[in-house]
Amino acid sequence: MPDTQNTAIRIRNMHKYYGVFHALRDINLDIAKGEKVVICGPSGSGKSTLIRCINRLEEHQEGEITVMGTPLDDNVDNIDEIRREAGMVFQNFNLFPHMTVLDNCTLSPMLSRKIDRAEAEATAMRYLERVKIPDQARKFPGELSGGQQQRVAIARALCMAPEIMLFDEPTSALDPEMIAEVLDVMVGLADEGMTMVCVTHEMGFARRVADRVIFMADGQVIEQGTPEEFFDHPKNERTKAFLSQIVGH
Amino acid sequence: MSHTKSLPKPTALDRLKARFFNTTLNSVVTLVLGAITLWILYNLANWALVHAVWGVDQGDACRANRDGACWSIISTRWRIVFFGLYPFEEQWRSGLACAIMVVVAVLSCIPWFWSARRLPFLWVAGFAAFYILMRGGMFGLTEVVERNWGGLALTVFIFSAVCLIGMPLAICFALLRQSSLPWVARTVGLIIDTVRSLPLLAIMFTFAIVLPFALPSWAIGESLYRVIIGYSLFFAAYQAEIIRGGMQSLPTGQEEAAKALGLGYWHRIGYIILPQAFRNALPPTINQFVITFKETTLVTIIGFFDVMTSGRTASGTAEWSFATLEMYVFLALLFFVFVFSLSRYGAYLERRLGVGTR
Ligand SMILES: Nc1ncnc2c1ncn2[C@@H]1O[C@H](COP(=O)(O)OP(=O)(O)OP(=O)(O)O)[C@@H](O)[C@H]1O
Ligand SMILES: [Mg+2]
Repeated sequence: MPDTQNTAIRIRNMHKYYGVFHALRDINLDIAKGEKVVICGPSGSGKSTLIRCINRLEEHQEGEITVMGTPLDDNVDNIDEIRREAGMVFQNFNLFPHMTVLDNCTLSPMLSRKIDRAEAEATAMRYLERVKIPDQARKFPGELSGGQQQRVAIARALCMAPEIMLFDEPTSALDPEMIAEVLDVMVGLADEGMTMVCVTHEMGFARRVADRVIFMADGQVIEQGTPEEFFDHPKNERTKAFLSQIVGH
Repeated sequence: MSHTKSLPKPTALDRLKARFFNTTLNSVVTLVLGAITLWILYNLANWALVHAVWGVDQGDACRANRDGACWSIISTRWRIVFFGLYPFEEQWRSGLACAIMVVVAVLSCIPWFWSARRLPFLWVAGFAAFYILMRGGMFGLTEVVERNWGGLALTVFIFSAVCLIGMPLAICFALLRQSSLPWVARTVGLIIDTVRSLPLLAIMFTFAIVLPFALPSWAIGESLYRVIIGYSLFFAAYQAEIIRGGMQSLPTGQEEAAKALGLGYWHRIGYIILPQAFRNALPPTINQFVITFKETTLVTIIGFFDVMTSGRTASGTAEWSFATLEMYVFLALLFFVFVFSLSRYGAYLERRLGVGTR
């Protein structure tokens, strides 16, 4: 019996089309509060599309999505509510280049949560300390390294005090030496009990953190299980092929 | 290229040689063009400075001297150029009003004012002060109706009114053209393209002369304001496309990140999209201001006493008619000062924004 009290994200019979292209086919997924889910799969399999449907950066055409009890429909208030509950971190950071790091972090808390500046800045500094870059607060994003920018992006999302964090390949655009610093922050977040949905090919991270790994191909969920089941005893042929590919790298 | 450091720095003379005298042909061209330039400068200086007459207050004293410029026309008739038909005793108001708008223009060049709240506030406040000073009828100022406005003050009024009405209108147009409702986007697109395909003069004529026949009498209003509205529409149509270009050059990730943070539509537009779009579109926007300022002179044709007409009037009397050239030089100088400083400012901004925030 599904426990609605403990469900963070609930997806039922969800389909997504880009024009005539059927990008997601009949997705059913329940993610519990505090659960860490890693999504992987070959390029073009619909991982980004799925994660972007959860906060309505993409609109789904059929089925239901409920986030923290709020149904995702055409009601703009519901959409904004869900977006505040679900922070998102992008592959290419998407910091606002015309604002300082601190302003990036305080903008939405001040505007959409109506928190006053002093409090918003105090919160922002706390999170910037957590991601270990408080000294960069007055700089512009363009003055930071990729790894630092991504950590700012995480801090910015956390400043909204979200229940859920969505990550779309947060380390793919980074140089190898910067990947670890971002993953460290994410591991810390996971250890504190954040609900996380994370598209990534960092298998070490998945093993260390994930409660469940989901494998997608051609817009469908092909296989899911604990990291041990998934990595060590994959059942599906496509999963095996995919795993042998990334291990080969 | 580390060894270049040890070489002696090329002197100005070396560079001159390398650039202008490197071949025989180049040397000849340099000499001929140099001679022509010197000759022009010599004559110009002779006319404008050496033989010029300053500070005489009767035209006759100048008339005899045709070797040099007669700058006395400026020192005796400048009030007409600046204030037109504005009553003499009240002209300080007109002057003060212009000074306020100049201050507003300078202040809006300072980045501190570039926020969605400060800039509109600055302009509305400045414009209100301008209008109250010019128009009077309150705070113990005698009333001076728009008919009697003129000269540079009128030009400044038209220019700032067009910017003040046209800029918000342009932003509306640009946003509506991106609307997700196809019929809204298409209608606004049609309006923009129609206005852009008409000559400004035709629009001004239509608003000044044709429109009164089509409007109910209560809606006709002062013809000055109809012209300003027509001109604002024209400005907005062009500026809307400039802003749209600026918005389209933003990566889609910017809007997505703003959405993902739960920012609503107006917050996204006001804090993320427009500030960056304006930065991207700064050079064409400044260009648009320059063009708009210069083209205010077209209102002459519909019978307004703007700075050009005033200048012509000032040199139009029998006493001063010989000094028309001097008057036009002065008018040209007025426009040059405004336009040139604006374009230098634009160049400075491009450099500053290019290095600063990206
Ligand atoms: N805006 C769009 N319009 C049309 N088709 C799209 C759009 N975005 C994605 N697609 C298509 O949908 C499919 C899934 O794309 P998606 O970006 O979700 O893949 P992905 O699994 O994230 O891949 P990657 O690992 O390369 O990021 C792809 O075939 C892609 O071509
Ligand atoms: Mg993707």
